[in-house]
Amino acid sequence: MRIWIGLVILAQLTMGGYSAAKGEGPVFKTAEAKHFNAAEGVELTPAFYDYFYAELRNELKKSKLVNDVIGEGEAVDDADAAKSVIINGTVTEYKKGSAVKNALIGFGAGMRSLKVDADVQRRSDKQTLCAMQVHVKVAPNWNEKTMAKFAAQQIVKDMKKELGSQKK
Amino acid sequence: MRITGKLAGNLALAAAVLGIHAGAMADEPKPKPENIINVHLTEAVASQKFERAPKFWISDVTDRSGNPQPMLVLKSRGGIFLDREPTAIVRESLEESLKSANLLAGDANSANLVVRVYLFHFGLAETSGLDFFGKVEFSAIVKNPKTGETAEVKAVGTSIAKGAARKKNAQKNVQEDLEESLKDAMRNFLRGQQLKDAVAVLWKAGDGAANPEAKQQ
Repeated sequence: MRIWIGLVILAQLTMGGYSAAKGEGPVFKTAEAKHFNAAEGVELTPAFYDYFYAELRNELKKSKLVNDVIGEGEAVDDADAAKSVIINGTVTEYKKGSAVKNALIGFGAGMRSLKVDADVQRRSDKQTLCAMQVHVKVAPNWNEKTMAKFAAQQIVKDMKKELGSQKK
Repeated sequence: MRITGKLAGNLALAAAVLGIHAGAMADEPKPKPENIINVHLTEAVASQKFERAPKFWISDVTDRSGNPQPMLVLKSRGGIFLDREPTAIVRESLEESLKSANLLAGDANSANLVVRVYLFHFGLAETSGLDFFGKVEFSAIVKNPKTGETAEVKAVGTSIAKGAARKKNAQKNVQEDLEESLKDAMRNFLRGQQLKDAVAVLWKAGDGAANPEAKQQ
């Protein structure tokens, strides 16, 4: 009886260790984040896109979804291309917000808002693995770059949710 | 008497302007041993593999940032300064990485490709205020000295580091941030598709004679 209990505990520990290791491993070998484009009518400074690019790369590194976050335009070995992804997208809408509306009306009125469309493509065949639409709102007196930070966090969170189950 | 009054008024005005200017100058941070950071590559960046590896020579690194104080990284909190000019840091990093990959020529005459670097940004960039955003951006003109042909290769390195309340921590974070962005820029340059294409176009089979080592192989 004791032997059986011991064996069951050992089996559970082995399975637990295996599933934990499986859950933590990176899904892709490399990920390349591109500078996002602006849709017509979106008025944001080039510094915003630079910061957004840096934040997206930073969040990707933290997510442990990929082994290596490479810079824009870096070469990737052909052997790794099938397990590498490219993230690009467009800022489709930006509203400056209104401090007056925000103070007088409240309930989300006059908030700064940013809408971003992003998609993740496999490097080898350019197949879209997932497409995301992110909408971020912040108070009108906050720095616009805060929205870049929140949008980058949301994109990586959505990526993790969509692609997290695709194991190597 | 009237002229003397005007003169006195002008003198008083000049003294006030000078006083305000002196006050503003006193607020300018100055480099001291405790607010100077040493930014360098922690380890040489591995380059991509070329089919036929050329020898590079860094001819010149020019600052094109338009920054009047290139060594001042952070103005607030008493200031944070670099110990060397950004151009010197970039040059040293490039040479170190090329040397470790055996791609650095001994001198300009033995080089297959000569690289001239234009530095557009080195230091901290605009951020959300919650963290430090380090950015290194440069453009390199790669030239074959024999044919005179050139190609442009752009490189950008970015890094985000945590913000800090204490000055000592801020200094440490800024240093790490700049080192990381420098490493990222070197990697972007040395492993970039643009450099691969530039070498493929500029360093053709017929140029083997320029490199004695390549000729022997």
